[in-house]
Amino acid sequence: MQSRLGWAVLTIVAVLFFVFIYAPLLVIVVTSFNANPVNMLIWDGFTLDWYRGLLGLGERATDVSNRALYIESTDQLLAAVRNSLTVAAATTAISTVVGTATALALARHRFKGRGVYSGGLLLPMMMPDIVLGIGLLIFFVTIGMQLSLLTIIIGHCTFLISYVYLIVQARLAGLDPALEEASADLGASEWTTFRKVLLPQLAPGILGGALLAFVISMDDLVITYFIAGTGSTTLPVYIFGMIRRGVKPEINAIATMIILASILIAALGLWLRSRKTD
Amino acid sequence: MTALLEIRGARRRFATPEGGHIAALDGVDLDVGGNEFVTLLGPSGCGKTTLLRAISGFEQLDGGSVRLDGADLGALPPFRRPLNTVFQSYALFGHMTVARNVGYALEVRGVDRATYEREVGQALEKVGLSGMGARKPSQLSGGQRQRVALARAIVAKPRLLLLDEPLSALDRNLRQQMQLELKDLQHRLGIAFVFVTHDQEEALTMSDRVVLMRAGRIEQQGSPRDIYRRPRSRFVAEFIGETNLFSITVERIEGGLAVGRTAQGLALWLPAAGLRPGQSAVAALRPADFTLEDGDIAGQVSRSVYLGSDLHLFVRPNAGGPEIRVTARDRAGAPEVGTPVSLGYDPAAAHVLEEA
Amino acid sequence: MAAPRERIVLAVLLAPATLILGVFFLLPLLIVALFSVLMPGLYGGVEWAFYHWNYGRIFGWADGLMEIFEPIYLQILLRSLGFATLTVLLCLILCYPVAFWMSRLPERWRLLFLFLVTLPFFSSLIVRLYAWLLILRPSGLLNQGLLALGVVDAPLDILYTPAAVVLGMVYIMVPFMFLPLFAAVDNLDRSLVEASFDLGATRAQTFRKVILPQTLPGIVAGSVIVFIPSVGNFIVPDILGGAKGLMMGNLIEQQFLSARNWPFGSALAMVVMSVVLMVLLTMVARSRRVRG
Repeated sequence: MQSRLGWAVLTIVAVLFFVFIYAPLLVIVVTSFNANPVNMLIWDGFTLDWYRGLLGLGERATDVSNRALYIESTDQLLAAVRNSLTVAAATTAISTVVGTATALALARHRFKGRGVYSGGLLLPMMMPDIVLGIGLLIFFVTIGMQLSLLTIIIGHCTFLISYVYLIVQARLAGLDPALEEASADLGASEWTTFRKVLLPQLAPGILGGALLAFVISMDDLVITYFIAGTGSTTLPVYIFGMIRRGVKPEINAIATMIILASILIAALGLWLRSRKTD
Repeated sequence: MTALLEIRGARRRFATPEGGHIAALDGVDLDVGGNEFVTLLGPSGCGKTTLLRAISGFEQLDGGSVRLDGADLGALPPFRRPLNTVFQSYALFGHMTVARNVGYALEVRGVDRATYEREVGQALEKVGLSGMGARKPSQLSGGQRQRVALARAIVAKPRLLLLDEPLSALDRNLRQQMQLELKDLQHRLGIAFVFVTHDQEEALTMSDRVVLMRAGRIEQQGSPRDIYRRPRSRFVAEFIGETNLFSITVERIEGGLAVGRTAQGLALWLPAAGLRPGQSAVAALRPADFTLEDGDIAGQVSRSVYLGSDLHLFVRPNAGGPEIRVTARDRAGAPEVGTPVSLGYDPAAAHVLEEA
Repeated sequence: MAAPRERIVLAVLLAPATLILGVFFLLPLLIVALFSVLMPGLYGGVEWAFYHWNYGRIFGWADGLMEIFEPIYLQILLRSLGFATLTVLLCLILCYPVAFWMSRLPERWRLLFLFLVTLPFFSSLIVRLYAWLLILRPSGLLNQGLLALGVVDAPLDILYTPAAVVLGMVYIMVPFMFLPLFAAVDNLDRSLVEASFDLGATRAQTFRKVILPQTLPGIVAGSVIVFIPSVGNFIVPDILGGAKGLMMGNLIEQQFLSARNWPFGSALAMVVMSVVLMVLLTMVARSRRVRG
């Protein structure tokens, strides 16, 4: 391990590892600007046509019927994006509040069955998503609830509460209990202590949990796939459908935009984490 | 004069993991005067921290009462008790500046801006941190954080300040400096300090009164000198400083002095007060009480430990029995291992324990 | 001990999670369990009668009258377990040396690379799988490259093979293996390794007797986190696998969205869930034993 040769071998493996991770994403990005719609390896020049097509500005669509197809799919795409954002926003809000409350309850109170309860909270994370997806599908159909954005939001909350709980709970566990005692000792009531000491100290954890919940909700495909009704298609489900119908250059354009957006979100997360509070 | 703090019959039991109970406080009575510096001293698990937390309100008593200025604190939650605490970990709020930390007690009481600014400024000045108000706790050294914790706890002018091993995280030099500063601050503020520590040296240095606790009870309390010179029991004698204990039987009383003899036949002269011939007792002599010459305990040096200004010698008595520890000045001609010595001491310095 | 006020606070804080998870997580799982022993209705739906043939069809006690036992289901179950195991092993082999490499980097670089490993997690799963579709398909990057280099004469059929499925699963699971593994490797007390060398152990011995046991918790955690979603995965085989790459997830999906045999689909889901619970319980029992 200490030898130069060993280190060189490890470095080569590491380089290959990162190539393996990033090359496929790079392939998408490059291809999305390739004017050749059929053979992705042959570079026919730089084009933004696929992006224009997505946004309904397709110049390539010469005949009327083809243009109509573009426009229709643009509307669907935008609706899917809107649905995804709606679901992710609602899910993030609910699961952040509920997950944080749960973490607070379990960290600061002792009661019978606490161990079982906190263990059970991790089950939704560990449950294969297909099982959860069909379970929710049967459940909603059985109780006669119309599949809609609401059912998707409910479905996402069931497992995202666990994620937020886990992250906030980790932050709470690392917090000196004397901080709250000091606040009480200096005359702050429980509510004041929560507002002025606990919440600011937990903020990075809560924000991190919220960010994770947002990302996972935006990306969830399996559960949404089962409980999305007509008209409540989300972006991943929409792309899944497109891919199933075949490879089209426009998918590269959407995929590239998603990759870009995700890098921005990840950078935001990194920035939040680097802002230390202590 | 009635005491500022009155604790009567304080009891607290904790369940042990094995299903039993352990008494952290087993009937503690304690009075603290209005400007007294009282130290709760004892090994870990003796109940000193539980007692402190019962005063601050973080621990509920199973029985007994805590009164401050005659008013029962029992029903009051911590945030309504007119006393403040300096925590072992300092518990500074990392997301607030030093000034906001210090002003926290005023902030939550909603005092007006001008008073707030003035009081925070004064508190910072008292601990020597003027001009540091805008920093974050993470930008301070250990000693400075300690001072912020102090300033924060005194800003609301409590009549009683509780300190939970506040110096344990500091290195030796800084700790000794802070001991003097704390004592000085207590004097200037004119309020009562209840200070918890397991460090006997710290307790002796700072306190007006040392309260030595053991297994949930007060073993002995008194002035540092009193508790050092006149330990009541073997536990106290061994916990506070180094000591030589001799189990003796009193042979005779002779003009205000008693002669006791150990099982090995070593004779000791002791103050006769309260002793009768034939009685068994334990006598304590501090290492510094001995001289190396002109005494009547013959022995030889078996080990010698160099401690800077002092030498610590272990002397094996010729009569037999445990080694006697002796402190000698380090100077030319200090005895080496194997040197025969005859240990002497002033019989008045010998102390007979009340309890064996 | 708990004052009434404290009880109320506790109840208020726990109520939302309890309610949401009770109604929308536990109840649906119970309904799946219930459906798995009900008779499928003629046109979708269910008949409210006890019906164990759903499991009989999978495990082989179907009598051939009511339902037919087809070994294909058992084969697919075993294939799913095999693919998932293979995915775990490949992720482990891939991540372990890199985790070691990264743990030796200076702090700044370590954080940067750690960020780079987690970055793909933030981008869409479906997009990442689509990338492999672009690469592996007959007119895709890999085949074009191989043809251009003259390595092959005709495009290889890589897409829609078990290899493509495992490749895709490894690709999306790598961050989940890497993080717990890296945490364990990074926490490894380097003086232990030095002590082992000092006491005369060879590199191989040190790895086997010191490094491996010390990083085992990370290996176990990473393996479980990768294995569980892999068993029931249906997106990867759907996009990259053909008939030979079919897994339990696809089977379940078909029962719900095309065959409309919900009870049979529920029984299949129960099988997947049992596997997952067994893995989890084994891990919990093991960590209890280790902790003593």
